[in-house]
Amino acid sequence: MSKTENKDWADDEDLDDTVDTLPAQTTTTNKDGTKTIVSWRFNDEGKKVKTIRRIRFTVHKEVVNPRVAERKNWSKFGLSAKDGAGPAADTTSVGENIIFRPSTNWRKDAKEEKPEQGSMKDQLKNKKVKCRICNGEHFTARCPFKDTMAPVGEDNPDVAAGPADVDGPAAAGGLGTGKSSYVPPHMRNGGGAAAGDRMGGGKYERDDLATLRVTNVSEMAEEQELRDMFERFGRVTRVFLAKDRETGLAKGFAFISFQERSDASKACDKMDGYGFKHLILRVEFAKKAA
Amino acid sequence: MRPILLQGHERALTQIKYNRDGDLIFSTAKDQHICGWYAHNGERLGTYHGHQGALWTVDVDPTSTLIASGAADNTVRLWNIKSGRCLNVWDFDTAVKRVEFNEDGSQLLAVTEKRMGFLGTIVVLDINLDPEGEQTSEKRMTITCEDAKATVAGWSYMSKYIIAGHEDGTVSQYDAKSGEQLDNTQVHEVDMLITDLQWSPDRTYFITASKDKTAKLITAKDLEVLKTYPADTPLNSASITPKKDFVILGGGQAAMDVTTTSTRQGKFEARFYHKIFEEEIGRVRGHFGPLNTVAVDPQGKGYASGGEDGYVRVHQFDKGYFDFTYEVERQARAALQQ
Repeated sequence: MSKTENKDWADDEDLDDTVDTLPAQTTTTNKDGTKTIVSWRFNDEGKKVKTIRRIRFTVHKEVVNPRVAERKNWSKFGLSAKDGAGPAADTTSVGENIIFRPSTNWRKDAKEEKPEQGSMKDQLKNKKVKCRICNGEHFTARCPFKDTMAPVGEDNPDVAAGPADVDGPAAAGGLGTGKSSYVPPHMRNGGGAAAGDRMGGGKYERDDLATLRVTNVSEMAEEQELRDMFERFGRVTRVFLAKDRETGLAKGFAFISFQERSDASKACDKMDGYGFKHLILRVEFAKKAA
Repeated sequence: MRPILLQGHERALTQIKYNRDGDLIFSTAKDQHICGWYAHNGERLGTYHGHQGALWTVDVDPTSTLIASGAADNTVRLWNIKSGRCLNVWDFDTAVKRVEFNEDGSQLLAVTEKRMGFLGTIVVLDINLDPEGEQTSEKRMTITCEDAKATVAGWSYMSKYIIAGHEDGTVSQYDAKSGEQLDNTQVHEVDMLITDLQWSPDRTYFITASKDKTAKLITAKDLEVLKTYPADTPLNSASITPKKDFVILGGGQAAMDVTTTSTRQGKFEARFYHKIFEEEIGRVRGHFGPLNTVAVDPQGKGYASGGEDGYVRVHQFDKGYFDFTYEVERQARAALQQ
């Protein structure tokens, strides 16, 4: 081309001269002994596609019987007469890797997962939905009395909490019962000391009984892993893994709350001393915060 | 291990055979050609054309110069492995379901189907191992199966007996010279077809696979059942591995039931059993249909399976396979060394 030397940089230079010609395949040998093969082709839309393959060649030598060696040089015939040397892509391919380890208890290995799931299902089967308000067999949110009654364990705001805990009826009772203005949740039902009391005692008491403290947890642990480990023993309602705010690494302890105390004690027995990520877990029942 | 998939057939596989050196594999399917393959890399050597019907069976002679095949076009053909040329054709009245060379390759037996008023027979043919030489068209001997047709047959050690498996679950022993029936034993359940019969390396005992969901190890001399391998599915093929004391069973639901079941339930796996302890030690998945045929490399380095799905999968055993031993085996070996 004549204009090649003084071409404007804005000119579209690869419009006409590269569309129908492809660069030849190049093979370069790298320092580490691998080879890089760059090949070009057109795809279905007529666009140029560059393929870079890095291949390590290994020579695999095998000593075979002379009869076998002679047979390897036979020429092909029949449907394969036109095939080149080596396996043809249309008849021979390599399947996915299969791990085959003969073992006397292969059946057990293969089925280990299943009974675990089955027992979990069984546990859930016997678990009945119980309303916290009226102890009926429905979810608390669906309880017909949810607007008129407080949960069972929680003190009745009108009868017990108000008058019993609070000295000055005007100070707290007025806030909870007076319909004059908005009252923040923590100030309702008496507020102040009463509310703090209730936080410790009322709502979370149920939890504490079935909560385990796990210490010596690896830095690399994740909440989900702990949940998976402990869920084998029963319904886990809460997993808390203390993490460093800046690094995001676990601080080394966690709390696991179970639905049932019996499950928690079983988990405590089994998991205490369990090796997890190179550390031995210490599991005990959580003590109430002082 | 990474299996090599061979896609040389358009229809269900019927038989796979290795040659004695274990470097060639021959496969037949219900389409009308035989494929020859290199076992080490799955390269196709060639295809053998000439049959006019579904191919049921193939066998390689011990010197790896000839192969014989039997097909639904009522012929047995002899081929030159190297050139792919057909050397001779023997015509029969009915389809040929099984062919097998004897130990030195001088004779070939063919099992013919019972159909169109003809009884099932086992025919013995003389073979000239020279690919350039003349082949005789005469049949040396014909054994007629009066009661139940033979489905599979083979030559015992020293070509002394011909052992046949029948459609009614019996195994019979014939004198290979005279054709006289010496013994007949009910080894599998009554009226359960024997689908395969393969030999141990020294041909003193063999394994049978049956639709009654078991495979049995039987001696050639007195048809004594040595071992039984129970499976949970009808079996189509069984093979004895050299080097290690295992057997490989292949089976799965009958082809007609396949579309109504998922691959997971179909049990389309090759099952490995310990030959002596009769215990299942592992399975290899991969096929999308029942396994019609399983063949083991006579050198013990691998095995190939052919399925109803039209694929041949060639597996090379890896270290875990060779290392596996039972505790008692290890103890016995340690005791020997001391």
